[in-house]
Amino acid sequence: MLSARLSERRVLVSCGAGGVGKTTLSAALALGAARRGLRVLVITIDPSRRLAETLGVSRNPRQPVPLPEDKLREAGVTTGTLHAWMLDPQLIADSAVERLGGEDAARLLRNRLYQNISAMVAGMQEYTAVEALYRFVQADLYDLIILDTPPSRDALRFLEAPRRLGALLNQRVFDLFLPERPGFIQRVAGRLIEGVFDVVLGKATRAELQEFLVLFAGIFQRLNQNQEEMRRFFAAQEVGFLLVTAPNEAALEEAYYFERKTRDELGLNLEGYILNRSLAHTADWPLPDPEAPGLDPTLRAALLKLAPLAKAERVRALADLELTRALAARLPGGFVQALPTLEFGANDIPALARLSEILLCPEATEATPTV
Amino acid sequence: MRFLSRRVHLITGKGGVGRTTLTAALAKAAAAHGRRTLVCDVSDPDVGRSALGAALGAALDAHPRPLAPNLWGARLISEEGHRGFLRSVLPKALVNGALRSKAIHRFLAGAPSFYEMGIMYHLLTWLRAEAPDGAPMYEVIVVDMPATGHALAFTSLPEILLRLMPKGPIARALREGQGYLNDPQRAAAWVVTLPEKLPVSEALELVEGLAQTQMPVGGVLINRMPVDPFTPSEHEALDEHFEAAVHGRLSVSRIRQAAHAVTRFCGVEAHSVPEVDDVALLDAFFQPHLE
Repeated sequence: MLSARLSERRVLVSCGAGGVGKTTLSAALALGAARRGLRVLVITIDPSRRLAETLGVSRNPRQPVPLPEDKLREAGVTTGTLHAWMLDPQLIADSAVERLGGEDAARLLRNRLYQNISAMVAGMQEYTAVEALYRFVQADLYDLIILDTPPSRDALRFLEAPRRLGALLNQRVFDLFLPERPGFIQRVAGRLIEGVFDVVLGKATRAELQEFLVLFAGIFQRLNQNQEEMRRFFAAQEVGFLLVTAPNEAALEEAYYFERKTRDELGLNLEGYILNRSLAHTADWPLPDPEAPGLDPTLRAALLKLAPLAKAERVRALADLELTRALAARLPGGFVQALPTLEFGANDIPALARLSEILLCPEATEATPTV
Repeated sequence: MRFLSRRVHLITGKGGVGRTTLTAALAKAAAAHGRRTLVCDVSDPDVGRSALGAALGAALDAHPRPLAPNLWGARLISEEGHRGFLRSVLPKALVNGALRSKAIHRFLAGAPSFYEMGIMYHLLTWLRAEAPDGAPMYEVIVVDMPATGHALAFTSLPEILLRLMPKGPIARALREGQGYLNDPQRAAAWVVTLPEKLPVSEALELVEGLAQTQMPVGGVLINRMPVDPFTPSEHEALDEHFEAAVHGRLSVSRIRQAAHAVTRFCGVEAHSVPEVDDVALLDAFFQPHLE
C-alpha cells in the first residue's frame, strides 16, 4: 500500500515519462502525507504555472517555502507541515560553490561561462537534484521528502555525475587545457588545442574558458567526493522509488526501462507502480442500451451514436484491468495503484487534497469521476 | 499554415503527444506539393534509435537520403556539425590534427552549449546546400525537436553564445543561423499538443518560452481532436443519463473537454488535427492546409 510507505520511508522518488502526471501526483502525495501529520518537503521540477502558484514556488525561492496556515487549513492539514521547493540548477550549483568558499569559488561565480552553466550544461538538473535532496536529508528537518525527477529517460543519471560534463572534466582531457602541462606530448597537444580554440573562440574567450574549466573541475571533484555516500544512501531501505506511468505504449516502455534500471541495475528499492489515467475501475460498468423501452427519442438518438464510443471504452477498461494485474506480477511485494483519469485539474489546494485521498485510500473514495 | 513558404519548421511538444507522427506527415505533405523537403530529427547519443526513422520506415543518418519523390530523411548530429565547423574555420594545417584530437571531441561534446552549436551548424549545412541549378537543395526542412527543454536550449543558443562571444567564426555561424531561425518569413516553430487541460497549459507556456527566445511561432497543432457527433439537445439528454455509471460517459466528457480546451488558444494560430495516428492519413489531411 502506498499510504504505508509515507511513514516508513524518508524519501520517495517518483520516476516516469513526461506527461504522465508525475509532478501533480508528487504534490498530491506530499499533501496527503502532511494531512497524516508528517513534516513534508516536496521538491518539484517544472510544475505547471498554476501548480507552482498554488505551492508558492512560482518565483524560484532560494529556500523551501512553507504552505501558509490558511492553505494548510483548507487542505485539512492539522499537525503536519508542507514545504515546497522548485529545483533550480543554477541556484543549487551556486550554493554548493559558495559553501566550498575561498577565492576559487568567488572567481568561479564571476566567470561568465559559469553564470550560464545551468542553461548550457545538459545533465545539470539531474545532478543538482541529488545534491539538493541529500543536503535536505542531512539537515533532518522533514519526516518525508518527495522528489519529482526530470521527465527524461536519464532522470536516474542523477546517481552519476552529469555524463557529458564528466567526460569533459576527465583528468586527461582536462590536463591539456591547463596552462602548466607536464611532458612533451601534452605540451604539443596543448598547443594544438590552444591554437584551435584561439581561432574558433578568440583569445579572450579561450582564456575565460580555460579559467572556467580549471576552477570548475577542481570544485566539481570536491562536490563528487561524497558521491559514494550518496549512492549508498539511495540504495538504503529508507529511500523508495515510485514508477508513475499511464496505459499507453510509450509511457509503459519508459516505466519498464526505469524498473530495470532502478531494481535490477542499481539495486534500489522499487516500491510500486502508479498507473495514472486508468479505466480499470470501469470494467464492470454496463453499456448504454439504446433499445431500452420508454426512452426519450433524443436520448435514444444520442445513445445510438454513443454505442461505438462506449464499446471502445469497455475494451480499454478491460485492457487496463489486465494491465494492472500484469504490473503487479512484475513486482512481487510491491503495489500497483490504478488511478482514474481525473475530470478536474488538480492544481489548486482542494483538488490536490481530493486527489491525495483517491491516491492514499482508494477503497474509501468514490473514485468514479463525474462528467 | 504558410508551411510551404518557409524554409525551416521546428516541430516541438512534450513526449506522447504524437509529435513525431505529425513531423513525418507534414514533411510528406510538403513533398507532395512538389517542394524538395528534408525531414530530420535530432540524434541523442543517449537514446540511439530514431523514432522518426521508425515512423517513416527508413534508417536515418547524418547524410540526407531520398525516401520518396521530393522527400529526403536524415538526422541532425552534433558531432557532424562540429566536424563541418572545424573544417570551415581552421587553417588546413590544423584541421587534421583537430579532427583526430580526442580531447577536442570530448570538449565539443561536453562543453557548455557546444552540443546545440553542433546541431545548429549541421542544420546550416543543409540550409546552404544548393541544387545543380543554384536553387536551395532543400526548400523545406522539417525538424522533429526532442523534449521541450532541448527545444528551448536550441532556440535560445544563439543569444546565450553571442553574449559570451560576440565576434569570431562561431558568432558568424550563429548570426547566419539566426538569420533563418528568427525570421518569421523563413522559419516557424509548431507546438504539438493534445486537447486536454494540462497539455494546453503546457503548450501555452511553450509558445511563450519560444517567443522569448526570438523564435517565431507558426502555431499550435492540437492533435487527436475527437469528433463531436452529438447535437446540443443530445448533450443535454445525455447529462441526465450519465448520472449512473455507464460506459461512454468518459468519452463524452473527453469530447466536451476538448471543445473547451481549443477555446483557450486565443491570439495563437491553432489547427485541430483529427484522431488518426497514421502518417499516410495525416499526410492527406495536411495537404490542403499547407499554403
